Amino acid sequence: MQPCSIYSLQKPNAQRCIYLCVVAVTKFYKDDMIIKMFLIRGILTISILTSVIESYAQGPPVFTDTPILLGLGGRGVRTFGKYISKENANVYIQPLVLPFNITPKLLVGTILPFVSKSPKNGSSQSGLGDLAVFLKYVVQQKDYPGKTIRTLVKVTQRFPTGNNEIIPPLGTGAYQTAFGIVTGYITTKYGIYTELNYNVVSEGQPNQFIYNFAFSYPLLPQQYPPRQLNISADVNGIYVPELSNNTIFLSPGLQWILGRKVLLESGIQLPVMEDVIETERTKFMFLLGIRVLLF
Amino acid sequence: MKKKSILLPGLMILIISLVSHTAVAQEHAKQEKLKYAQVKVNGMACPFCAYGLEKKLKAIDGVIKIEIDVENGVASLEFEADKMVDKKTIADAVKKAGFTPDSIIFLAKLPEKETKPEF
Repeated sequence: MQPCSIYSLQKPNAQRCIYLCVVAVTKFYKDDMIIKMFLIRGILTISILTSVIESYAQGPPVFTDTPILLGLGGRGVRTFGKYISKENANVYIQPLVLPFNITPKLLVGTILPFVSKSPKNGSSQSGLGDLAVFLKYVVQQKDYPGKTIRTLVKVTQRFPTGNNEIIPPLGTGAYQTAFGIVTGYITTKYGIYTELNYNVVSEGQPNQFIYNFAFSYPLLPQQYPPRQLNISADVNGIYVPELSNNTIFLSPGLQWILGRKVLLESGIQLPVMEDVIETERTKFMFLLGIRVLLF
Repeated sequence: MKKKSILLPGLMILIISLVSHTAVAQEHAKQEKLKYAQVKVNGMACPFCAYGLEKKLKAIDGVIKIEIDVENGVASLEFEADKMVDKKTIADAVKKAGFTPDSIIFLAKLPEKETKPEF
């Protein structure tokens, strides 16, 4: 067990420290503002690391999940590099998402994240983050000519596989189970998406309510094989009921569908509201990624 | 008398074979005429989604070519000359791709690309 110090307060995304603090320090300083800040930082980090990596979709949007699955036997790969610029550190995340449709309505998948953290005042750490598996099931589907209204429920289980014995830690040190619902009204002209998740975190860390909304719009006429440019605007938020803290990002994105199987995407997330101490704040996040369909 | 007894069955065999051959030829001609199908697919709202549909339809035995019109929500299929595919097989493939099949029609030839599908 590593002690939690003021030094680790200055480290980015120090989930391990949050964990240790929650377990050991809260006993003595329950009302201390610093502990609250630790918890907030942990929540934000977990959410930043995981809020978009599940959203393997067959099209837009970039930062919100979609209720459209891949079809029976459908497989794919999604990966992206996400650069997070914080006041006191730079973080790079490269998850590998592998979904597979067992039935037309049931999809399972896994997320293998590579994480690299470079604090501005300390040594960098890189390695495997917290591995996750997820399951999605379509509970409602209404199809019309050129449009669809769908809802799916999903469960995501994250495991504390990332090393949290180092500073800065690469994992949260906690098991997390997220229950979510994703809805979408998608037409050939535009798409509206909503994603709500409640993330239950072990080890005394606060639970989170994650909410994402998105609007996507194709810039070119629809055609097949696809040659398409989509723009999307997302609102990505995290609310921590225990602390009454809220964080909201405004996230414009761009997708370039190159052909039947390949989609390139990019986006930036800008904070519009952050209930954390100034040194912990996020300046911006930038994403550049690719999705490939494998059948 | 002997000649008559040989000629009559021979003539009958010839007639039967001619008739049956004509029937088979007509059936072939009918199949050749309807070697295309158009499927109206509901729920196909994005072109990146259509790849799964293309794969599922291509996997049907006898299908040699697929064309997908995302804007109008129509998949056009071309069959091998001697193979016919029933509507249920096509509808099942659409469902497996995660969409809802609407009307399925068989055609002798596909309509021109600029025109709307025949629904």
